Amino acid sequence: MIEVAGAAHPVVGALVVVAVLALGAMAVAVTESVVTAHVAGSPLGSAWSRPWRRAALVLARPQPVTERPDTLLWVLAPAAYVGMAALGLTVLPLGTVWAVADVRTGIVVLGSAEVLAMVAVFLHGWAPNSPLPLVAGYRFVAAGLSFLLLSIFVLIAAALPAESMSFGRIVASQEDGAWNVLRQPLGLPLFLVVALAVSLHGPLDVADAGELAGGTTAEVSGPARLAWGFARRAMLTTYAVATAVVFLAGPAGPLLPGWAWLAVKSLAVVVVLVWIGQRTARVPVERFVRVAWTVLLPLSFLHLAIAGVVTLA
Amino acid sequence: MTGTWVDIAFGVFAVAAAWFGWRVFVTDSMVRATFSLLASFLNVGAILVLLLAEYLGVAMFFMMGVEMTVMAIYMVAFMMNPAGLNPMQMVHQPRVAVVVGVLSTAGFGAVALAADLDTVAIVDPDGTIRALGHELMGSSMLVMQVVGVTLVATMVGAVVLSAASGRFGPADVGSVPPAIVPGDDTTRPGVDVGGDGGGHDHDHGHGGGAHGHDDGGDA
Repeated sequence: MIEVAGAAHPVVGALVVVAVLALGAMAVAVTESVVTAHVAGSPLGSAWSRPWRRAALVLARPQPVTERPDTLLWVLAPAAYVGMAALGLTVLPLGTVWAVADVRTGIVVLGSAEVLAMVAVFLHGWAPNSPLPLVAGYRFVAAGLSFLLLSIFVLIAAALPAESMSFGRIVASQEDGAWNVLRQPLGLPLFLVVALAVSLHGPLDVADAGELAGGTTAEVSGPARLAWGFARRAMLTTYAVATAVVFLAGPAGPLLPGWAWLAVKSLAVVVVLVWIGQRTARVPVERFVRVAWTVLLPLSFLHLAIAGVVTLA
Repeated sequence: MTGTWVDIAFGVFAVAAAWFGWRVFVTDSMVRATFSLLASFLNVGAILVLLLAEYLGVAMFFMMGVEMTVMAIYMVAFMMNPAGLNPMQMVHQPRVAVVVGVLSTAGFGAVALAADLDTVAIVDPDGTIRALGHELMGSSMLVMQVVGVTLVATMVGAVVLSAASGRFGPADVGSVPPAIVPGDDTTRPGVDVGGDGGGHDHDHGHGGGAHGHDDGGDA
């Protein structure tokens, strides 16, 4: 089952995944705060501490009660969403020859995490038994069924030169040849769209607060809201790491150890994603679905065809 | 030691798969039933991974995730249970189902316990598996591809035919909504019955828009 990287002890692997997601979510929150301050032209000094003060504020708010909610699913939805961020992270190489589980079916596992994350978001909107969160859940599924295909074609294209669906092999193929960002130039922008959409960030945050009077979180406040905020940033972390691994050769690089290169590259992707989120308007879901099926999906076919021809050449 | 852990994991996944399968039929909501079925499939997928059918297991996570999400939405759309939170009966022909279930469980159980199954891997002495693989991926490949493209074309055609805005203009041109009171055309939404005729329109629109609410909200 293990191809490139050495197998981690399950306990070590679990601890690493939790640590990476926690640090990553904090990094995303601070980046959001800093980028917001920069864009608004306000002093950066308070930007570093703002996420913490904001988290404390959110935590202190009471949770409203809706009529006959599905309490179990409502509580479990953020946990399931974080769990899918963790599942995606397990198959990604986090060091030079080290992953929690660099399985042969890596890209399918990441795809599964993406699909089940969509289920978690839908249930997060369905469980409160309230109209606006429910509508937001449906809208996210409409967007999800569109961006899932994009991500699969982009990942298959990355697997072609590696001749393997393992992320370790995908990194190795980039060390041997050129980085995928150069070799498969259409892939990175397409995958950034997927990363923003699946982690409910920026212009593709079609299911969350600010959209349609509150989105799936319209009835969520207090600790549950903080958990959902953490979950979104953990998912963004996983997809930033995945982007760095698939297009920027992940842990590969001179002098510094592999994990440090991966951290630098992932952080750069986070900054790009947060920057896009701050500088672009929210996209109506109808328009996104139309663009996804008529423009982005044909582009991803083209991308896959080019990747195939280049691999054979 | 690893074998023990695999046995324990197998037991946990098997019990969970059966339990969630049972939940499908005792819950009263389409969404709960659908995602219970998804949970059952995920446990079966985990068992496939344990059996070293790694790709099949992981592909099951992926495919069932999409399939069950689409199914949940179609169920809510086409069953009389808006938003999936109203009670409804989830079983048909329960007596027949119980008999068939007990018989098939007994049959499979008897085979599993009584049959003299091989404990070592079969090396495929006759080359049957290899021949099947060559058949599927070799000369029959063209047929498989044609079938695949035909299926895709059928799906695209179905979407085009059912889309509200087709290439020949809006699909709902000339269609009229049914009367609210059967047989009384004056209660048909959009029909002006003189005076304040827009009132029906408004009522209908409101009733339609409130489907997301639970019925309990009216109390």
